[in-house]
Amino acid sequence: MRFNFRPQNHWRFKRFRYRTEVLRCANCGTVNVTTRPVCRRCRSRNLQREELPERGRLVAFTTVKSPTEEHKELAPYIVGLVEFEDGTRIVTQITDADPEDLKTGMIVERVLRKITHDGDAGIIIYGFKFRPPIT
Amino acid sequence: MARIRNVAILGYGGYVPRLRIKATEIARIWGREEDALPVREKSVNELDEDAITMAVEAAKYAMRRAGIDPSEIGAVNVGSESHPYAVKPSGTVVAEALGIPPNFLAADLEFACKAGTESLQMISGLVSAGIIKAGLAIGADTAQGRPGDALEFTAAAGAAALVVGRPGNGEVASIEYARSYVTDTPDFWRRAHERYPSHTFRFTGEPAYFHHTLSAVKGLLEEAGLKVADVDYFIFHQPNYKFPLAAAKVLQIPKEKVEQGVVTHLIGNTYAASSLMGLVRVLDVARPGQLIVLTSFGSGAGSDSFLIETKEGLPEKRAKAPLLDALISRAKYVDYATYLRHRDKIRGA
Repeated sequence: MRFNFRPQNHWRFKRFRYRTEVLRCANCGTVNVTTRPVCRRCRSRNLQREELPERGRLVAFTTVKSPTEEHKELAPYIVGLVEFEDGTRIVTQITDADPEDLKTGMIVERVLRKITHDGDAGIIIYGFKFRPPIT
Repeated sequence: MARIRNVAILGYGGYVPRLRIKATEIARIWGREEDALPVREKSVNELDEDAITMAVEAAKYAMRRAGIDPSEIGAVNVGSESHPYAVKPSGTVVAEALGIPPNFLAADLEFACKAGTESLQMISGLVSAGIIKAGLAIGADTAQGRPGDALEFTAAAGAAALVVGRPGNGEVASIEYARSYVTDTPDFWRRAHERYPSHTFRFTGEPAYFHHTLSAVKGLLEEAGLKVADVDYFIFHQPNYKFPLAAAKVLQIPKEKVEQGVVTHLIGNTYAASSLMGLVRVLDVARPGQLIVLTSFGSGAGSDSFLIETKEGLPEKRAKAPLLDALISRAKYVDYATYLRHRDKIRGA
């Protein structure tokens, strides 16, 4: 699937991309990333905005060596599964780290990074990634 | 510009990417002598970092130390000569990433390496006038240097940020005086659509760096009625390791009052963040009640100079975010080819 570089699309998702802001369903607790005001599981419209925590635990990770066209400049890069305290899980790139720096179960923290860019003239897509915390 | 009233630094933060290249590695490629290199090593951005992402990192630490709600930030100024867009503000992305609601003034500033302290001048003015409660002053750069040019040894990546607001709630420091000294001096420039800057080699020392820096410091001390002996730390813009120490020598400032605020030998010249980075490193060790003179320099050319007094809130706020030396020490070294890739100097791949 091609990455959607339409500025309108990025603009709609910027709260999620910049701050992992989601819509949590007050009825069933499901976390919704979509901008639609309807819960994807129970169809409730009683959704509340919340920012996922800045820190989570790295559940699993792998290195992507054969990326899609729009991510090829970054390859090889690490993709991880991060779990927050409430059990919510998120797929994310892991940055500022080499595979040997990572261990499953370790704490990782959210940062804002460039995800990709639409050539030299199009928009730059910024969004969250996670990295080993700096102390 | 003179006496500043009711303006405090509420929080501060610095950010340095983890990658470094040794100056000897650059010298190896270009056949330069290794005994006269301007720095030991310099920071290099990750492939996914630019002035905006680094500004967010530094500002996040500054906000954490300030303990301020994002809704209290009334202005975000980002000074840089490497704004990722020629037209489209950096400050709006930074603010949204930090959760600052839309009622704020965003301004991107440019004045070579002086753009960071310009942010501080402007935010201080807005706070002092009572127009805003608090604001973010940021300097951030992924500086450009033409392959093989002298600048390539020093042009580095980093960001520094200050939350500036009204005093009275455990502030880090107060800003007491501010002064600027600028003239039209063509020592360094980058024309529109050019990838790399041009410069005039030794002309960038005297009459550019030294004349403006020394004039600003002398004017500030005179205005505040202070002598060198009254001040605990002097921080200068640091395009290399020699210049700040040479400026201090002219002013007869002892080396020990300058060295804490020099980081350029470890991370290179972070341009708009450079002098602010020195301030961050001084705030990481200073005691309450100490006086600091912070002086930037930007080619083109000019200097901003500030008299800053540390306050009781500093030790407690310092502990809320990583120290600059912790960021500097996580160095991972890259070779010249990797460096070229990270600085987008390999085109057409």
